[in-house]
Amino acid sequence: MKSTSYSEKTLDHFRNPRNVGTLEGDDVAVGRVGNPVCGDIMEMYLRIKDDRIVDIKFQTFGCGSAVATSSMTTELVLGMTLDEALEVTRKDVAEALDGLPPIKMHCSNLAADALHDAIKNWRAGIRLEPATAEEAGSVPGGCDVPGLNEVEHADDYVGIGVYKQVADTAELEGKRVLVLDKGPATARLALELTKVTPRVVFLTELDTLGLPEDLVGEVKRSDVKVLYKSRLLSVGGQGEVETVRVRDLDEENEYDLFVDAVVLLEV
Amino acid sequence: MAAQTPGRGGVYLDYQSAKPVDPRVVEAMAPYFTERFGNPASLHGVGDDATATLDSARAKVAASIGALPEEIVFTSGATESSNLALLGYANRNRRAGDHILISEVDHISIHNIGKMLEKAGFRVGKVPPDQFGRIDPEKVRKRITPETILVSVGWASNEIGTVQPMAEIGEVVAGTGATLHSDAVAAQGQLPIDVSRTGVGMLTLSSNDIYGPQGVGALYIRNGVKVAPVAFGGGQEDGLRSGTENLAGIVGMAAAAEIMSRELPADAARMAALRDRLVREVLAAIPDAHLNGHPTERLPGNAHFRFEGVEGESLLLLMREEGISVATGSACSSKTLEPSHTLISCGLLHEEAHGSLEFTFGRWSKDSDVDSVLAVLPGIVDKLRRMSPLYNKH
Repeated sequence: MKSTSYSEKTLDHFRNPRNVGTLEGDDVAVGRVGNPVCGDIMEMYLRIKDDRIVDIKFQTFGCGSAVATSSMTTELVLGMTLDEALEVTRKDVAEALDGLPPIKMHCSNLAADALHDAIKNWRAGIRLEPATAEEAGSVPGGCDVPGLNEVEHADDYVGIGVYKQVADTAELEGKRVLVLDKGPATARLALELTKVTPRVVFLTELDTLGLPEDLVGEVKRSDVKVLYKSRLLSVGGQGEVETVRVRDLDEENEYDLFVDAVVLLEV
Repeated sequence: MAAQTPGRGGVYLDYQSAKPVDPRVVEAMAPYFTERFGNPASLHGVGDDATATLDSARAKVAASIGALPEEIVFTSGATESSNLALLGYANRNRRAGDHILISEVDHISIHNIGKMLEKAGFRVGKVPPDQFGRIDPEKVRKRITPETILVSVGWASNEIGTVQPMAEIGEVVAGTGATLHSDAVAAQGQLPIDVSRTGVGMLTLSSNDIYGPQGVGALYIRNGVKVAPVAFGGGQEDGLRSGTENLAGIVGMAAAAEIMSRELPADAARMAALRDRLVREVLAAIPDAHLNGHPTERLPGNAHFRFEGVEGESLLLLMREEGISVATGSACSSKTLEPSHTLISCGLLHEEAHGSLEFTFGRWSKDSDVDSVLAVLPGIVDKLRRMSPLYNKH
């Protein structure tokens, strides 16, 4: 079966998704699941009155089934009590859509999980302003305390792609540069680098930018690509920096990112 | 250009995945199914006719890439050609070394053959590209060792359209004792290919990619390059590719090659004009849209975009609703749910690779195809961004 062999019902919910959007207020529960690495991100917003879901909205980044399952989940649980909604499973959502392609059953069927996440947050007393949840990459529910970690092999590449200081940003012109977050000075350098290269990745272990407010805004408006909740493990390449190994702290998986230079400022 | 436009209607901008067979090719093939059906191995007149046809087809395909007829082996397609090139060459030349280089941006079939070579005990290295998908010949040079017997770099990327500096890579490989192979499928019919000028020792060719029938291809093997067969049988194709020749298919590939040689300059210029207009107007109409691949060193028929905050399969499905056929490098549309290895090796993050959309033009593409895309794409991207938790730049 092709990954896009969707049922008519799935296609209908994909074409005309119900309840797209966000909700605000202190009677709103927010849940978020997924990660860009695996492909889909879903957010559920529930307005709760007397332990019952009286309004519901979602936002989803993902494929056809990710959108359709989000839409269907909102339809299924609107009006339910929180206990009833917790009983709704991924399988229920897939069945309500007349089934999903087998390969999509796990990766793109996370809407029920986002719903459950929202209810758990609500019951744990976590109230999230939608503005917070909207921040790209931010994941409610705790984050690791950033520690200065040793980046393996970094010292071997000093002078051939690893920079412990950047005297002149022109050295990095046109390169794919990864800047490790070590506070405001590194963020300012990342911003500065966007003037000489289109590709600047700012890697941080935090789930939001731990920077002064004006700097946060500046980074967000800029072409700096922020990689949240990530740990730089090692530097690799033949004779020069070619890749870095990154651990995604959310999903606990690792992957290679292709870069030409790594900036590890000593601050 | 043929008067009749193939296809079922709708806007087809996925020529990279499959191309219609040129009606002139179909016409050339027709007699070989019924009247001139012979086996070149037979010793009677019908067989002799088939032998003469095969020789003539071989000469035409050879001429289209500047090769000699005896340097062409017909196969069942590009995949078989690349298997013969990599596995056959590695097996035949094992005593000379055990190291093989391929590129990170090569077609998935080359990567999978590389995995087989590793299982067979070879060491397979991958050369990473720059952010535009281009292989720096210096990076190839640095990786070549005395044990390197084979270097394989695709002529152009079937995905992002980046064209490799093949002549320079050929110079780097020349004199090292290694042979250079190139999968030229994506470049065929879009760029002039002349093996006599590039130092390529083996070249993978496909018939369908020049508007010939599917199920036939060829491998160019320069005189003096030694390859062992990977399938065994009646010893056809100089023992390198056993099995009775697919005569009608080979005739079709030869006819397609002749047409291509004649029409390539006009075809390429027309595609480039369409592509340039699409790129210019998409980037102007849609905020936070980016062109993947090289800005100038790219196939004339390829435009590959990514749109921040939206996912490729959703884009593709909504384009399909509008009658427009395109492709995506998104993981969600692949068999493995892995994003495109090509985009990742250019340095893109997974979420960025997910948001890609590929348009490929061909012989029957026209201005109104670009109009159709421009009429709906900005709205589609906007619709998906409105429901995306990742898009909040504005």
